[in-house]
Amino acid sequence: MRRRLVAAASAALVLGLAACTGGGGSDPTPTADDTQAPGSAESLTIGEISFPASFDVNGYSIAHYVQYFNAVFDTLVRQDGDGEIVPGLATEWAYDEARTTLTLTLRDDVTFTDGTPFNADAVVANVENFQASSTPDLSNAQYISDVTAVDDTHVQFTLSAPDPMLLTWFTGSLGFEASPASLTSPDVATNPVGSGPYVLDADATVIGSTYVFTKNPDYWDDSYVVYDTLTINYYETLTALLNAIQGGQVDVATFQDVTSLDQVEAAGYTLNTSQLDWSGLIFYDRDGTVDEALGDVRVRQAINYAFDRETILDVIQLGHGTATSQTFGEATGGYLPELDSYYDYDPDKARDLLAEAGYGDGLELVMPTMSALNQDLLTAIQQQLADIGITVTLTDTGANFITDLLGGKFTSSWLQLASAKDWQYAQLALVPNATFNMFGNESDDLAPLFTAMQSGTDEEAAAAAQDVNRYLVEEAWFAPFFRIDNFYVSKPGYSVTMAADNVTPYLYLIQPAS
Amino acid sequence: MLRFLARRVASGLAMLVAISTVAYLLIYLAGTDIARNLLGQNASEEAVAARAAELGLDRPLLERFIDWVSGAVRGDLGTSWFSGAPVTDLVTSRLGVTLSLVVLSTLLVAVIATVVGVLAAVRRGWVDRVLQVVSLVGAAIPNYLVALLLVTILAIQLQWFEPTGYVRPEVSLSGWAMSITLPVVALIISAIAAVAQQVRGSMIDGLRQDYVRTLRSRGLPEWRVIYLHVLRNAAGPALSVLALLFVGLLGGAVVIEQVFAIPGLGSLSVSTTTQGDVPVIMGVVVVVAIIVLIVNLAIDLLQGWLNPKARLS
Amino acid sequence: MSAAPDPAASSAPPSLARRLLHDRLGLVVLVTLVVVVLAAVLAPLLASYDPGQGGLLDALAGPGGDHLLGTDGVGRDVLARLLFGSRISLLGAALAVVVAVVIGGVSGLVAGYVGGWFDGLGTWGASILMALPGMIVLLAARSVVGPSTWWAMAIFGVILSASVFRLVRGTVQAVRGELYVDAARVAGLSDLRIIFRHVLRVVRAPVIIQVASIASVAITIQAGLEFLGLGDPTVPTWGGMLNDGFKKIYQEPLLVLWPSLMIALVCLALTLVANSLRDALENSASTQPKAPPMDAAARAATVAAAAATAAAADGGTPILRVEGLRIGYGVPGGVSEVVRGVDLEVRAGEVLGLIGESGSGKTQTVFAIMRLLPVGGGIVGGHVLWHGEDLARFSDARMTGLRGRRIAYIPQEPMSNLDPSFTIGHQLVEPMRHHLGLSRKAAHTRALELLARVGIPDPPRTMKAYPHEVSGGMAQRVLIAGAISCEPELLIADEPTTALDVTVQAEILEILRSLQQDLHMGVVLVTHDFGVVADVADRVAVMQEGVVVETGDVREVFRAPQHPYTRQLFDAILTEEDIRPAYALAGAVEEGPR
Repeated sequence: MRRRLVAAASAALVLGLAACTGGGGSDPTPTADDTQAPGSAESLTIGEISFPASFDVNGYSIAHYVQYFNAVFDTLVRQDGDGEIVPGLATEWAYDEARTTLTLTLRDDVTFTDGTPFNADAVVANVENFQASSTPDLSNAQYISDVTAVDDTHVQFTLSAPDPMLLTWFTGSLGFEASPASLTSPDVATNPVGSGPYVLDADATVIGSTYVFTKNPDYWDDSYVVYDTLTINYYETLTALLNAIQGGQVDVATFQDVTSLDQVEAAGYTLNTSQLDWSGLIFYDRDGTVDEALGDVRVRQAINYAFDRETILDVIQLGHGTATSQTFGEATGGYLPELDSYYDYDPDKARDLLAEAGYGDGLELVMPTMSALNQDLLTAIQQQLADIGITVTLTDTGANFITDLLGGKFTSSWLQLASAKDWQYAQLALVPNATFNMFGNESDDLAPLFTAMQSGTDEEAAAAAQDVNRYLVEEAWFAPFFRIDNFYVSKPGYSVTMAADNVTPYLYLIQPAS
Repeated sequence: MLRFLARRVASGLAMLVAISTVAYLLIYLAGTDIARNLLGQNASEEAVAARAAELGLDRPLLERFIDWVSGAVRGDLGTSWFSGAPVTDLVTSRLGVTLSLVVLSTLLVAVIATVVGVLAAVRRGWVDRVLQVVSLVGAAIPNYLVALLLVTILAIQLQWFEPTGYVRPEVSLSGWAMSITLPVVALIISAIAAVAQQVRGSMIDGLRQDYVRTLRSRGLPEWRVIYLHVLRNAAGPALSVLALLFVGLLGGAVVIEQVFAIPGLGSLSVSTTTQGDVPVIMGVVVVVAIIVLIVNLAIDLLQGWLNPKARLS
Repeated sequence: MSAAPDPAASSAPPSLARRLLHDRLGLVVLVTLVVVVLAAVLAPLLASYDPGQGGLLDALAGPGGDHLLGTDGVGRDVLARLLFGSRISLLGAALAVVVAVVIGGVSGLVAGYVGGWFDGLGTWGASILMALPGMIVLLAARSVVGPSTWWAMAIFGVILSASVFRLVRGTVQAVRGELYVDAARVAGLSDLRIIFRHVLRVVRAPVIIQVASIASVAITIQAGLEFLGLGDPTVPTWGGMLNDGFKKIYQEPLLVLWPSLMIALVCLALTLVANSLRDALENSASTQPKAPPMDAAARAATVAAAAATAAAADGGTPILRVEGLRIGYGVPGGVSEVVRGVDLEVRAGEVLGLIGESGSGKTQTVFAIMRLLPVGGGIVGGHVLWHGEDLARFSDARMTGLRGRRIAYIPQEPMSNLDPSFTIGHQLVEPMRHHLGLSRKAAHTRALELLARVGIPDPPRTMKAYPHEVSGGMAQRVLIAGAISCEPELLIADEPTTALDVTVQAEILEILRSLQQDLHMGVVLVTHDFGVVADVADRVAVMQEGVVVETGDVREVFRAPQHPYTRQLFDAILTEEDIRPAYALAGAVEEGPR
């Protein structure tokens, strides 16, 4: 209670001072200038905490990079705020019965900024370029066995197996369309040529610091507002970003630090939220090959009972999230509301289960850590597991956190994973060759469910996902704590629609407020 | 004079080679799996292997070192593993920022510390003691604490300054001045004490010299004795401290740049360290070493000009 | 040589530790450091909680109640973390210091004592280590060795060893050059014994001071690394607590306060200890002895004396008349008088020889005449009448106008009395332009004339030369030229030939005599050599232990010295009768002097 008073007092102080001084920082209250007529708007300055490795295909990625690419490239299709696929460069799309052939109908009135026309050949060139590269999202194209230009406005994709995620991938890395001529240019990494709403202003841009874009005068799409200037500022630390927000130096920004949300609001910004990720423990060695204890479902369940999720959420995340026992997110088909509270906080039951499994004397687990992680959360994990007799030793992995994990050096760890789309999540963590299933756990129960998720109709896939979800929770493949709130802050003059599957909104979801 | 210069330059080059070699061997032996770190958790094994080959990580160390050296002497320090940008460009674009910060700080410290040190040495008594205590307190508090204090009070609460950001001097001179005021203040507060102490000590020693009495016996006014003669002789050792100070400020800039979000070499060092972006780290080490060697050379020359005896040695 | 006589010279100076403890500030600071170290050592006893123990339900509790300083973000006791964190932070700094002193000290010792190729290599290595900013090296190293505090501090110790190396090497070299070390070697002491007995004793104090400074730096750097988030997150440390507190600065601002205070306190204490030690060692503390004031009787007598002088007529009017001059130095407990009532007279054109042994006060007397007594000394009584006015009461400005223009001074040691950074020409010209208002060209010409006048063979070359480029004899001539450049009335020559070769002495005296005659100057010639007095002086004054025991015409005093001390001095002069007989071996040897 007291600390909230202190925070409130300091917020009031800042607000009061800000109101008195007037000069220096910018005035956060909206004025007539902030509201723009649709179709024209002066400028948008975005605050970001990452910047892309390069503008060529090897740097393609979504998450915090997507706005940089959205600026210069259009995508084949887009997503609205609910995650529904809407037209982009493609106006129509259709699968065949087997769901292994996808045909896209393209616009015929789009030209790249270098004059090259956008057509089916361009799409083919981009996709093949993608497949031949070492781009981080390479696996997006794993099921594409062939891509052909049927005619100027029709592209056909032949798949080796049904891919429920393919259209979603087309709204991101796999869908960025660059001018085919630019793909072989020597400066492709720093000089992107697309058909997007903005053009990169190379002179004003400082790589790794400030990226400046100017409106593309020949942009084909007038269904949404394009600003005259777009600036994306990179901030190396959360401190710097917070300072910039408090100084009013950005219009919208991604923001992850729950402890200073009050300050952000005090500076006049609106908090836009979404829930995309879950945070908690993953048990990689569910078969007990290395760590015998983890092979026993009672041990895994015991761990699930050991956590006081609500308190962790309150203290570590300041309540910004939803406590849960399931790893499927609310937006997924596999989400089941009742599974949120499947495991309650019951340390006695946890100890009983451990004793039953033969570990009444205690148990040791080794988990990885690195400096960038939330140390408080990891300490809380240690504290609460120590309560039921499990000693967690944290090993610092330096910069090799992911590498060591994927290399199978650890049998369990804390992790935060995206879970907004069923099949994407399954491929990330659940299927036998999933990235985060490095011990290759599989089950006869799950195999047919995965097949249904991949090849079935939307209803079949959703039902299968729910069965998978139930299995995972009952078999305690994970020990999730909560779904975490993701924030995007904006000044009053800007209206932000959060993306359904991305931490930052796609650029076309940020518009002037009406 | 020319021989002195040539010898110093040669010695500097030898040092540069030694630093680069040791640094390269040590850093590349770190053995991080960079390709995986670059591509992130979602990338496939083939993608990782392809990127590793692209970065040349599968070639023997000696071969890579020779490649690096032959590139370095031509001014090409390789490319960043993370952003693909040429290291030379990355480092030089940020070098100007850090240098403007550090050089300005060094000059300010030199001027202020000289005034403070001379006053303390000449006046003695309570003036001396007050100055000592004040500058010592300033020295004891780490500069990052001072920086935090300044940002919180002057930038966020009072809004006299922008809390972050750096405006390039060619864009706006007044903007540049405003954006570096707080970082410079944080940097110099601790440093003034050390140099002022040295100046004070040298001045006190200088005032004890025989020739001071002789100069006074010639009837020279006291201000001439102090500022023209004693200070000139005391400047030599003080300049040595200044050279060390420059190196210290470069290190101090690392943390300060983090606090103020200044896109300089310091913040580059920190981010590339956590990422393990080895070519950039190497580039920073090499460039910093060159800068320091140049500064040392300049100060040696200055000391030589000031002290006729040193010119011959 | 020209420093104030040490009133406490009888007893050996108190040890460094004693001096430090006497300084109140030093004492307080030392105690603080001891308390901090003890707290760290006794942490398990002092802390009521384990530093890692805590629960989320207790998170971010304010100070008071169960937790004296509150709790952090996961409910751990702040005080416990601070105490246990002291161990890591202090041990880390200690590790850096130990590494630095061992590596730097040993190599500096060897390099300074033995020299040779090791010296060259070591110096080069030290330059490399000092060329790189520590923070950047530590960042680069961290990507190799990982987040371990111990590795980081060990590496930092190696970096710091460069400054220790330089310090030790410099000190050892200076000691090595001292005569007593050579004496010890001649006496047959082994090198190792010399090092331990003599060299280490001298090196000890500067190294201790250095240790205090670098300990402070090590703590700061270690905390800085941890503050950047690059420390070891599994153990409590001050910097780590700072990092953590900073992340929660809006929730619980006090979390930042405690580690900040600890770091600042310890660093401040170490810096102050280093400073106090340095001041104690070099005696350059802010408090310096103050010149004692003139006593009341003397002040009153001044007025009377001025009137009395007008009546005095004793041959020619003396241009300088010293009456009952007393000079004292402030010492703990009062004033120590080194000149206890001196009477002198100098007339225009007359040479007064002032003779006495070392410590008799003759140099102090002439310094007082010019009002150039060293720091701590002052005229406590008597008068120095210049043309009848007591210059002891002149303002600084008036005295400055007098010096160089009317009263000039020639020092004893020529080489140390010229400013090494300026050419001889500059040093000649500067005062002339100030006093006589000459243009640069006119002053330059005049300077050339003066140099020729004092017998310098190539005046233009000497004008451009620096003091270290000329011989002692030439330097003395330059000083003489400078002294007479403005044609003073009174010339004070303080043992002008003592530091020169015998052959040169005669020439210098000849120059002085000829100048004195040409310019009709009064001269006070301080010396301990009767031969010089006999050669040049008209009158002589003999000083012993701060008073003038005999004064009079040179020939009369030589012929018939009155005072027993004067007679003692004359008796001490070697004459032909004093030559010993030749040394005779057993068996026949040649007779005769060798």
